Amino acid sequence: MLQLSAAIAGLVTGGAYALMGLSTLLTYRLVAVVNFAQAAVGAFGAFAMVVLHDAGLPLFPAVLCGLVVGAGVHMGLGAVMVRWFAEASEGVKAAVTIAAFTGLVAVGLRLFGAQHPHRFPSPFDSPAVTVGGVVVTWTAVVTMALAVLFAVLPTMLLKRTRVGLLLRALAERPTTAELIGVRVPRLSLVVWGTAGAASALAIMIVAPQLAGDFGSQALLITPALAAALVGGFRSFAWTFVGGVALGVLQGLASTVVALQQYRGVLPFLVILVVLLWTRRRDRWDSMA
Amino acid sequence: MIRKHLRAGAALAAAALTASAVVGCGSGGDDTIKIGAVAGLTGQFITAEVAKTAQRVFDDANEAGGVNGKKIEYIVKDDAGNPQRTAQVARELADAGVVAMAGSASFTDCDVNDAFYRQQKISSVMAVAATPKCFQSPSIAPVNVGPFTLMTAVLLHATQKLNDKNVCNFSSLLPGNEEAVKEALARWERLSGQKLKVNDLTVPQSGDLTPYLLKAKQAGCDAILFNPAESLVVPWLQAAKTQGMDDVDFLLLAPAYTDSVAKAVGGLGLNVYAGSEFEPFTAESLANKGWRDTVSRAGAQATAFSQGGYLSAKFLVEVLKTIDGDVTRDSVNAALRDMTPIEDPMLGTPWEFGPGQTHAPNQGSKIVRLTGLRWVVVDDTFVTVPDA
Repeated sequence: MLQLSAAIAGLVTGGAYALMGLSTLLTYRLVAVVNFAQAAVGAFGAFAMVVLHDAGLPLFPAVLCGLVVGAGVHMGLGAVMVRWFAEASEGVKAAVTIAAFTGLVAVGLRLFGAQHPHRFPSPFDSPAVTVGGVVVTWTAVVTMALAVLFAVLPTMLLKRTRVGLLLRALAERPTTAELIGVRVPRLSLVVWGTAGAASALAIMIVAPQLAGDFGSQALLITPALAAALVGGFRSFAWTFVGGVALGVLQGLASTVVALQQYRGVLPFLVILVVLLWTRRRDRWDSMA
Repeated sequence: MIRKHLRAGAALAAAALTASAVVGCGSGGDDTIKIGAVAGLTGQFITAEVAKTAQRVFDDANEAGGVNGKKIEYIVKDDAGNPQRTAQVARELADAGVVAMAGSASFTDCDVNDAFYRQQKISSVMAVAATPKCFQSPSIAPVNVGPFTLMTAVLLHATQKLNDKNVCNFSSLLPGNEEAVKEALARWERLSGQKLKVNDLTVPQSGDLTPYLLKAKQAGCDAILFNPAESLVVPWLQAAKTQGMDDVDFLLLAPAYTDSVAKAVGGLGLNVYAGSEFEPFTAESLANKGWRDTVSRAGAQATAFSQGGYLSAKFLVEVLKTIDGDVTRDSVNAALRDMTPIEDPMLGTPWEFGPGQTHAPNQGSKIVRLTGLRWVVVDDTFVTVPDA
């Protein structure tokens, strides 16, 4: 019974992981950058919202400002990428984002205070239902709904619309896309902005549940990348599943005495298994 | 043209200043008493108010004529919470010729520098000590209670004053503190004659904590001890409220005893208690008068950490005043070893350095309770943890 309730409780964290994983995947699929700074950018937006809200701005405009900050910071990073690293390999781009992550965390800790937690407004904090002795809040429901939306919308966009087609061209062959007349820099900046705002929204929703300091929020990138890995850095649906499964698994692990201590490692073991399984038909010797 | 001259002049002046500073360093050892501190002025753990308050205490002593006619020169080095920097700045302070350390507030200082302090024969009157090493060294004597004695103290409050029968522990272990945490819990078990209903030492420093609260709920805990940092206390209590744990006593340690926690979770209406390191800093009591005055003149934030800075500087000045003749590392060490214990109304037990191989002089804590958006002192006497 405790296992069931722990698993249900784990859905909340799972939703958070899925949200961040999907934002990261969005950036990767649309502009071909594995962005290690994604959660840090989101945290920037979310903390901007909290600071403005604390200063007396009503919630809704504060949230809007936070989204704008998230979008702005991410567009700044995007501009650097487009301007100087457009032709660089994925490895180089990822390394640049790691540098950006370090910088953003240092600046974020300085700006928003390292020690004292901010009070994140949690408008969806009221209980929605009680399942298996666990009170599930509206935050959990909203997180999950938002994660589904984050998974479905990009899939539809990429598959069904003309913009989606252009974006796919942009991600696969940026130079070719530019040569056939796609306005690459402008389009990719819009993509960077949208993904930044999406991560800021994700962090705003989940921050009240998790440790409310800048460093912890920025570190959400680890489970997010793990979730994206489960989706093979391609599938939005599997990234969603991966994120949720990670959360549930962590919840479950906290109830098993023998596993408790290894709770943090468990998701990575699972990813290893998933990767080995999905790659089981690859002939590794021929790839070298 | 004029600008060019000015620039040359400025450069010359700067060079002259640097030269005199260098000369000053070389010869200054004789006319000032140098005291050092390692604190986090940047990075994850900012403890700037500790050094600021200690600085004010030393300034006050200097304005009153100094010690044996000599001024105290206080040198604070920022380690940014980075162990490499912690080691480096301790060596810089030793090279600068400090006679002792006071007002250090770094979470890595004891672990990184203990052996170095022993070797250099530098004693440290530490303001904020948080790791076991700080309480197990012949050269370090903290003024604060520390997280381990505090654990025993809040648990004793739960069993003795709140009559809790099913006491549970949900703590996270940091590298190197496992033995000290287990010993603190065992000490409570010996003193109270009770056993922990649930003892979970695997609480992570991030993520959703609801599964742990559900475990506590299922086990029927009436009191739950929780040790992680301030940032995790808020989601912990919020999740507890969501799960309807209104009748449980939540026991927290000093990191949770801050104004920002009170503001963030005071409205939840849960039973929340915390242990204070000294006379509770939110209390407008007579015991706090001297500290409050000093901290406001220092322009520093009034926190429990700044109380540590105040007391460590004050105690060291008192000990320095007992020295006849030259104030050197050796004479300071001898004075600390032979000192008479200092009674202070901000502490539950007298503070002393003494000749021991380990030092944990402060064994008394008061308990504060979250009432509305404020922390209020529950009982005006210190809970002193007896030996067991």
